[in-house]
Amino acid sequence: MTAAVISQPAQPHQPAAAGGGLMRRLNVGTAVAGGVILGLIGWLVAHSLLQDDDHGSDQVVLVTLTCWAVGFMIGIGAFNGPIGWALGRDLRREDELFLAGKDQGISRYFRFTTDHKVVGIQYLVVTMVLFALGGTLAMLIRTNLISPHSHFLNPQTYNAIVGLHGLIMIVATIIMVTGPFGNFIMPIMIGARDMAFPRLNALSLWLIVAAIPTLLSAAVLGGIPTGWVGYAPLADQAPPGMDSYSVFIIIFAVSSAVAGANITTTVLTMRARGMSWNRTPIFVYGTVASVGLAIPAFPMFMASQILLQVDRTQGGQFFVASGGGSPWLYANLFWLMGHPEVYVILIPALAALMELTPVFSRKPLFSFNAAVISIAGIVGLSVMVWAHHMYASGWAPDLNGPFMLTTEMISVPTGLLFLVILGTVWRGRVWTTVPMMATYAMLWNFIIGGVTGIYLSDVPADYALHGSMFVTAHFHYTLMGAGLTGAIGALAYWFPKMTGRMMNERAGYISFWLVQIGFNVTFMGMFAVGLAGQPRRVVTYAHLFATGNLVSTIGAYTIGIGMLVLLYAVISSWRHGDRAPANPWGGKTLEWTVPNPIPLENFEVMPVVTSDFYGYGEEPSTGADGEDAREPVHAGAPAGPAAAVVAAAPVEGEL
Amino acid sequence: MIVGGVAAVAITGFVLSTAGATPGLLKATVNGTADTAQGQLPHAFLNLATYPDSEAGEHGADGGAHPDWVSYGPTSNFEVPAHSLVTITIDQYDGGETITNPFFAKVRGTVDGTMTVDGKTMTEADPDAIGHTFTIHALPTNQDPLFVSVPLPAVSDDAPEVEGTDYPAPHVVTFSFITGGKGEYVWNCEFPCGDGYYAKFGGPMSTQGYMSGNINVV
Amino acid sequence: MSVEPAVADPPRRHSRIDYWRIGWIWLALTILLVLFSIWVPTRLMGPPASPTMRAVESTMRVFSIAASPVAALVWAVAIYSLIRWKSKGRPTEDGPAVRGYGPVTITWAAVSTVLCVFLLIWGLAEMTSVTSAAEASNPLVVNVTGQQWVWTFSYPDEGNVESDQLYLPLNRPVVFHVTSKDVIHSFWVVQMGIKVDANPGVTTKTSVTPDKLGTFDVRCAELCGLRHADMETAAHVVNPADFTTWIAQNGGHT
Ligand SMILES: [Cu+2]
Ligand SMILES: [Cu+2]
Ligand SMILES: [Cu+2]
Repeated sequence: MTAAVISQPAQPHQPAAAGGGLMRRLNVGTAVAGGVILGLIGWLVAHSLLQDDDHGSDQVVLVTLTCWAVGFMIGIGAFNGPIGWALGRDLRREDELFLAGKDQGISRYFRFTTDHKVVGIQYLVVTMVLFALGGTLAMLIRTNLISPHSHFLNPQTYNAIVGLHGLIMIVATIIMVTGPFGNFIMPIMIGARDMAFPRLNALSLWLIVAAIPTLLSAAVLGGIPTGWVGYAPLADQAPPGMDSYSVFIIIFAVSSAVAGANITTTVLTMRARGMSWNRTPIFVYGTVASVGLAIPAFPMFMASQILLQVDRTQGGQFFVASGGGSPWLYANLFWLMGHPEVYVILIPALAALMELTPVFSRKPLFSFNAAVISIAGIVGLSVMVWAHHMYASGWAPDLNGPFMLTTEMISVPTGLLFLVILGTVWRGRVWTTVPMMATYAMLWNFIIGGVTGIYLSDVPADYALHGSMFVTAHFHYTLMGAGLTGAIGALAYWFPKMTGRMMNERAGYISFWLVQIGFNVTFMGMFAVGLAGQPRRVVTYAHLFATGNLVSTIGAYTIGIGMLVLLYAVISSWRHGDRAPANPWGGKTLEWTVPNPIPLENFEVMPVVTSDFYGYGEEPSTGADGEDAREPVHAGAPAGPAAAVVAAAPVEGEL
Repeated sequence: MIVGGVAAVAITGFVLSTAGATPGLLKATVNGTADTAQGQLPHAFLNLATYPDSEAGEHGADGGAHPDWVSYGPTSNFEVPAHSLVTITIDQYDGGETITNPFFAKVRGTVDGTMTVDGKTMTEADPDAIGHTFTIHALPTNQDPLFVSVPLPAVSDDAPEVEGTDYPAPHVVTFSFITGGKGEYVWNCEFPCGDGYYAKFGGPMSTQGYMSGNINVV
Repeated sequence: MSVEPAVADPPRRHSRIDYWRIGWIWLALTILLVLFSIWVPTRLMGPPASPTMRAVESTMRVFSIAASPVAALVWAVAIYSLIRWKSKGRPTEDGPAVRGYGPVTITWAAVSTVLCVFLLIWGLAEMTSVTSAAEASNPLVVNVTGQQWVWTFSYPDEGNVESDQLYLPLNRPVVFHVTSKDVIHSFWVVQMGIKVDANPGVTTKTSVTPDKLGTFDVRCAELCGLRHADMETAAHVVNPADFTTWIAQNGGHT
């Protein structure tokens, strides 16, 4: 590493920081050890003190899982910084570089590493693990539903798997874009050397890693009988698996708050010189909108779980009607998170597609302002629609009309996003790479998801369709057909930048078609049985629905095979794919100006932005600010100063 | 990797733990025929029992994972012949109290709408002293409708234990119903007996093999 | 490696034919989607057993028809761009530097707003008609109790007749008073298009006028634990005389 990369002057020598030596020995192994040890201690203490009343087993589970998570975070080194500061010590420069993962090869991926690129890759792997888990569970669900008499799963196991599938997939889709790409790509895209709070970045990632085993522990603690929504009072009645659910949600909410504060601050304060809001790429808007929406949303979910834990472990009555509580309180808290959350998932995925569509159409993004306004409009409206999930609950029938209004209004800004993409491909030079195909698949799927959403926004139609497989098919069309498809497009698009290698194109296409065809078959079948009256989350069903379910299961297996092909493409290309050039697609945003592999602090000289990044088909400007007589229209790259700097940058770092 | 490993272990453990809990099947014994309103039908018999714990049923003498949970025995999975008269006898060893829904204090769906308790014919039990119910239902669209619900009167709390056993003398409840065609039905108890859980419907009530199971008509 | 930013001469002369072709694709898709909208969703939902369900099915039809030209337009442009503007491999030149076209954006937003307002007015009108029709005088009151995992019904004005199945007289408004003994269930009479949650501790109401003889499905639409899938029963709609007979057979009086 040359000194040029570290642009600050060397700091004065300081005495070794607290735990400076210890810090170097911490990794995911010590984290698991810490978690297990503290978890065992917690279990022993709780078990001996708390066993003897109705809530004993829940208290023991709550204490044990909390201790596991705290132990894990101690073991990974998450508390070293705060403790050091509390003791009045700060890290030396080499400690910071160590934390950033300098010269550590592969082992930096198993540490509390602060480099945003490492965190991005870690998020990518965690996301893929979650999808593999959730997908496996989906295969089990569909196998059970292959016939009404399959008896593949007993009802208890089935309910538990439905709940775990739902929650794992929701978490996976929440982090699938802002995690990997928001962390790896977005800071480079705005011309920053790292995130505003690199340690919070690592913290948000490792909190999720600590939380995942707590969720999976539900499997051996009686399962989650409530589906992913965790509706009380069924949740009050549930076995200790429900405590796993609560602990998981609480940790995940902390993680998302940390990530949200970090990403928002980064975008607000660390954009390159000259990157005014009208030059900020649309993907950055999408990322900020997503995490910004998560900041108010997830505390609601966390609060619901804290109240639930008071009910379950302390004999509280928040959701117990006979004790003065209300199940509607839970439902409201849940959907105050739950509806913004679908846009937490969707917006960054759509924004990624809007970011890559100009690159593969060789045209500027059509109506950038409309794109920004519609994202803002969706964010604003999405916090005012939650009770459309409660039309049939009886909670407040008089509010059904107003909530129908706000819900249907969302179709206006959402519709504009279609126009933005269509206007961009219009008379473009469409290069049908896998990422671009993802855009087209999204256009197909999201129309279907959107139109079926309009039926559900209509109060009387919702009375007929609520709680049926129709709803399940609808939100899979949005979250999977649009959201996950967008994330796969983003992965294929940024894969060369993140791994330094090209993704296997053939495998990419095969996977694309298998997944998209399988997807449409699966969920068209599900729409059909939903309209015919099959409820959600049932382990068996009336014979009338047999054909539709068989079709769905065949489609689901097709998705499964397609996803395995994608997994193969990712793993094999990551290991042996062709070396990627710095800018394989001819993109104009800043991440394509840095070399592969990307240096530790991304830019040797900070880029200066003189135009936006969508200047396809326009005269290349001379670059530097003010030299051009016209309004600067061309990006800082490739003609700007950053490009010149980057071209001379030493190739370093490894992957 | 770690997460994947933990996940694999957790899922395997889960599948194993539920697979291990798959209860055995008890087949009704057919013994002769009976005259019914629907003519002469084969007559099948099932003998069951309900216990205040799970040490006498399918969970083994140590009671398995939850020895203090109430349970049906000897198993919770039954098979009865189609188009037959089925007579079930349940030895009810457990205590009880007031039922939440008096609907289930009445006998429903049996031949003549009656049951016999210790030899006495009854159409309902005292709603303030119900131990459990035996309630059969299922998806009505898939098969001939079958809805049978029988309340099992509680054994009084101060009844003495019978010598040589851990239980007091049981109430012997007998009832008969006529099966239609083949089908897959479920049964569960509708007296909330899962003490310590919300609405007393958790624990044994919500776990297969205690207060709920399958009844197949073959 | 980078793409030479060649500035393409906007192929103006092709534009008009592009519009016409897209127009034809759009028209064809719209017709297909409208036909689909008229037949498929309602056929899957089955014949309605109440005016409420009839209203729902006409809503499904009208909304689908209204959405058809929109979906068709999006897909037509997308499909056409793949045929007409697809580049064989990596593009060697850039497309025209069109950064937006105000009138299109404004028209698009305006049309979708109009559609949205239409959906809203339709929905509100439908909601009012469905509720007011059911608030007729002299309704039959049925108490519905959800409990894990059985529905039970009682008829308070008919001598508290109880049943595990629902019996309803033809063409008489019914008001259901729905509650739960334990967790949340959702009372759903599928072919009548009505659904309301059964909540512990409170009574929710829904109403309907069955107008078709036959046996229909009552399902639980809210996951309620172990036997949720089996929480089903039948709703029999019978002639008023048969209903009176049934009530009498079960010890009640009308
Ligand atoms: Cu919503
Ligand atoms: Cu019981
Ligand atoms: Cu239910």
